[in-house]
Amino acid sequence: MSQSPTPSMPSLATQSLGMSYGTRQVIDGLDITLPSGQVTAIVGPNGCGKSTLLAGLARLHKPDSGAVLLDGADIQRLPTRQLATQLALLPQEAVAPEGLTVTELIRFGRQPHQGWLRQWSAEDQRVVQHALAAAGLEQLADRPIDALSGGQRQRAWIAMTIAQQTPLLLLDEPTSALDLGHQIEVFELVKHLAHHGRTVVMVLHDLASACRYADHLIAMREGQIIAAGAPATVVTPDLVRTLYQVECTLLTDPDTGSPLLANVRRSPAPA
Amino acid sequence: MPFSPEDQFRADGNNNVPPPQGYWRFAWRSGNGANSLLFEQRAVVVNLGLFGALLLASVIYLSLGSVKVAPTAVLQALFGNADIMASFVVQELRLPRLAAAASTGAAFALAGILMQTLARNRLATPGIIGIDNGATAFAVASIVGLGVSIAPPAMALAGATTAAVLTFGLAAGNGTQGYRFIVAGIGVGAVFGAITQLMLARVAIDTANAAYPWTVGSLSARPSGALQLLMLGLVLGLATAMALARSLTLLRFKDATASGLGVNVKRRRLEVLLLSVALTGLAVAVAGPVGMVGLIGPEIARSLASSRSVPVLAATLAGALVMVLADLAGRTLLAPIEIPVGIVTAVVGGPWLLWILMRPQRSFT
Repeated sequence: MSQSPTPSMPSLATQSLGMSYGTRQVIDGLDITLPSGQVTAIVGPNGCGKSTLLAGLARLHKPDSGAVLLDGADIQRLPTRQLATQLALLPQEAVAPEGLTVTELIRFGRQPHQGWLRQWSAEDQRVVQHALAAAGLEQLADRPIDALSGGQRQRAWIAMTIAQQTPLLLLDEPTSALDLGHQIEVFELVKHLAHHGRTVVMVLHDLASACRYADHLIAMREGQIIAAGAPATVVTPDLVRTLYQVECTLLTDPDTGSPLLANVRRSPAPA
Repeated sequence: MPFSPEDQFRADGNNNVPPPQGYWRFAWRSGNGANSLLFEQRAVVVNLGLFGALLLASVIYLSLGSVKVAPTAVLQALFGNADIMASFVVQELRLPRLAAAASTGAAFALAGILMQTLARNRLATPGIIGIDNGATAFAVASIVGLGVSIAPPAMALAGATTAAVLTFGLAAGNGTQGYRFIVAGIGVGAVFGAITQLMLARVAIDTANAAYPWTVGSLSARPSGALQLLMLGLVLGLATAMALARSLTLLRFKDATASGLGVNVKRRRLEVLLLSVALTGLAVAVAGPVGMVGLIGPEIARSLASSRSVPVLAATLAGALVMVLADLAGRTLLAPIEIPVGIVTAVVGGPWLLWILMRPQRSFT
């Protein structure tokens, strides 16, 4: 099967981005660039602003200051539908209407490409089949979403974003409710998508998976970026202590070369 | 629409694309490329069935009453070649009221399914969140002549809008989600209900009698012009709702999902809300608060339709059908006494509501 054509790779970046909830300033003056065609993981302790940043990137919340730039253009100025052809989003704990089957869910991914007189094109048919295959869901195509395992369900949602055929994919804690086997299912699918030319950005609460599956790591604390770069270069015991107030020993995974956290323990209480 | 080069190659195969399971697909080519329409088979069957049932109920409605007209004579009268008596009864007496029943039922049910979709809660119909009562209070104010002599439809629209603004204002921050919104709406509805009663208690008994059918919902006293306005609003409203149907389906997901798929959620919600409030106001101006139809119509539609989309048209047809049958029952069951249609729908709708609440959940979202 042919790979879905990946459009020219747009760049996503923020320019002194500031965002708040109500009166609380969550992030302020953030400048980041998300490397194209790679998996970026945003990590940090609870409440560090990582989900807010993702909401800003996906245009779910309006920034107070600065901007999110897609190919240099402020995403606030893009029509919602046009943005949806560039950037797909999988929110945390997405819920499908009851009774919806896997294929029916995936078909919603075609929405931004469809119109009143273009409700089901040859392209739609081909892309939905491709998304089913890419996510390994052909056998489950007609199964209701609520009858799937957690990992299968999450793969179905990711398949919906595949059908959206966007060069950019944002995922908010895609593995938060999954057991280890299901987490690996999802991460390998994400990795596969990046290999085929998508830029993936995911918020993760688990630093270990971020080290293992991300090409680029953005570490946040109290609304600030404290480190950004390849996991093997930026993850240090100091960084882990700053982020989570824990001590650890860092090893290198003999198979992948990515950092491994060992002997994680609480930091001695500050004097 | 952007086309990928690959699609151009395949465009000739436009007619041979297999439709999704359970759909019919119609394809043709025109200047702007390959066009295609999808029709869900089950929805087509359900809508045709409901439409057929509505036609049948309409003939029975026109046929029964203090003067019985045989169904064949009803059809003859409609097409203008029956005897004078039958023509008069059918065309002058019963047809306008049938039109009022069908269009108010359709409008209440359409407003209901729109509001339910907006709030992702099947209890959130305009009747329950106080909009019917707001519209009624304002309309009654104009009828009992409390210093204002604006036409009831305009007053009902103003009342519906006021109640909606109050409900949304009181639920501030939480938007249309969750119980706060419903509780605020029930409160607003109760206040407007009380205001209506207060106005009726303070005017002369004859005036109060004239306004009474308004407070329970009735089709026997229709302000002139209100029906025409409602029918116009219904046609425009239904067309708009069907044009929005694709994004309404996405509003059933979380906002973040809908937004990610290209729906401008805030604007769409506002449009849907305005549509629902306007339809409610126009329908109340004709029939008073028959909010139960806003609950029953969508519920029937959902039980017949698949869960793939929001059954906008089916709910509208079901609402019209329910209202026609309810008014038929109200006119004929205890004849010559007429039971207001609002009471019939409440008697049927109350137990229905309990059944919805008590049967095993098939949740709406």
